[in-house]
Amino acid sequence: MNTLINVARYHLAKRVDYLVLPWVWLAFAFTVDLVIFAMIPVGHHSVLTAHGIVQVQNTSPRDAGGLGAIVAIYFVLGIMSVAKSLPFALALGVSRRSYYAGTAVLAVTLAVGYGLVITALQAIERATNGWGVETHIFRVPYILDGPWYQTWLTMSVALTLLFAYGMWFGIIYRRWSLIGSIAFSAAQVTVLVTAALLITWSHSWRNTGHFFTALSAVGLTGILAALGAALLAGGYATVRRIAV
Amino acid sequence: MTPPISVTGLTRRYRGHLALDNVTFDAQDGVITGLLGRNGAGKTTLMKIITGQEFASAGDVRVFGTNPVENDAVLRRMVFVREDQIYPDFKVGHLLRTASRFYPDWSDELADTLLADFDLPAGRPVKKLSRGMRSAVGIIIGLAARAELTLFDEPYAGLDAVARQVFYDRLLADYAAYPRTVLLSTHLIDETAGLLERVLVMDKGHVVLDAMADDLRGVATRVSGPALAVDEFTAGHPVWDSRRMGSQASVVVVGHLAEPDRAPAMAGRLTLEPLSLQELVVHAAGRPGPDAQMMRTSA
Repeated sequence: MNTLINVARYHLAKRVDYLVLPWVWLAFAFTVDLVIFAMIPVGHHSVLTAHGIVQVQNTSPRDAGGLGAIVAIYFVLGIMSVAKSLPFALALGVSRRSYYAGTAVLAVTLAVGYGLVITALQAIERATNGWGVETHIFRVPYILDGPWYQTWLTMSVALTLLFAYGMWFGIIYRRWSLIGSIAFSAAQVTVLVTAALLITWSHSWRNTGHFFTALSAVGLTGILAALGAALLAGGYATVRRIAV
Repeated sequence: MTPPISVTGLTRRYRGHLALDNVTFDAQDGVITGLLGRNGAGKTTLMKIITGQEFASAGDVRVFGTNPVENDAVLRRMVFVREDQIYPDFKVGHLLRTASRFYPDWSDELADTLLADFDLPAGRPVKKLSRGMRSAVGIIIGLAARAELTLFDEPYAGLDAVARQVFYDRLLADYAAYPRTVLLSTHLIDETAGLLERVLVMDKGHVVLDAMADDLRGVATRVSGPALAVDEFTAGHPVWDSRRMGSQASVVVVGHLAEPDRAPAMAGRLTLEPLSLQELVVHAAGRPGPDAQMMRTSA
């Protein structure tokens, strides 16, 4: 256990990367979203046409994409946690297992903390009618639009998933560099295409579509959690076999 | 007592290349062992397998009596300083603090002393350091960790002679005060000869010499002088190497020469020089290097 904490603290030596940078980046994306949505009028507005002034119903969605910033940076943190830091930990007599477990513990802990902050921001967004410009930066229709505890859970799971994905990429990159990363990406695409082909051949698109439309937000969170666990297991199986 | 390192029949095969071929040796507890050999002899691979960073193709490696691979209980008693170590983007001070947490016997005092010795700025990012300074960081970690088993793989790339001497002095002093087992791979054999208690010479994946440094002293002697006298003197002794230049000859004979054996040499105006560790290693590694080719015919 002590070793796991030491591994987590090892990563946190770069506390700017783990604790500051994601929020600075999110704040930037947030500001950009606010500026954009302040420019797009809400509801009816007047437009001068050849027929005189007409009232136009503005139907464009009010969903911004700023939340993606923090998700993306969490993926990058996952990559860096291995690609940059693994070899030195091994030199200090840390086993791959402890390194991986310690890194994962840090990732989950931070994800839960981040999730909580996002949940709070979502509550503020609701209370202020979308930051005064009726935008949804911390609300995503369907998946991130439920009660606060659901937002917290889903956000934590989603961030952990991205970190695990990044770690696996980082491990592949550490051992097989760019070629390995490309092959790894190609393998993932192959899996997806194969799945699509299988669904097509078995005429199950209708069922597949039905499965996802019937799925609740909690159900989808469960699927994300299962996927995250699979990615963690895949990364672990890889790191145990590589020499760095 | 179980030796800190016990290697039996260790083989490591890479695609079309045998890096280690049936290597067997035991490291002695509390001894500084030099791992010597040419580039590509398999020294780094051996150390990586001992520290669980690389995997064996065949054979058995035991560290403190058990398999080190993914074994935290064993790994945490080791520190491995590599010439080509990849460091995270830390400042020197952060790096040392991180390392200190993994070693219960870590000495901040020693780390600070070494920082001053090597004139290393603690606030500078590691990636901004020169090659020699980066080597110094590794040396500080390796020494200050005071790990029971300390492995140095060519730890002083880019370090100047003064800094290397600092390393030797500090290693010896701290080793005397806090005994531990040290495995040091090096090319600078003459420089480290006084440091090594035991030598392990590797060539092309094999261990070709495994002996206590003391036992190697005087194990071979270079006899030089007038060719006739040299031939007369060396007749009957096993000869390793023989060179001639005009009427002068230089011959390396193997085996300890007792006092009575030496007497004729005085009469024949011959020079007897014990072979240095470096020369021995050059012979053991099979291929004469520039040192061995240099003919010394000093009278």
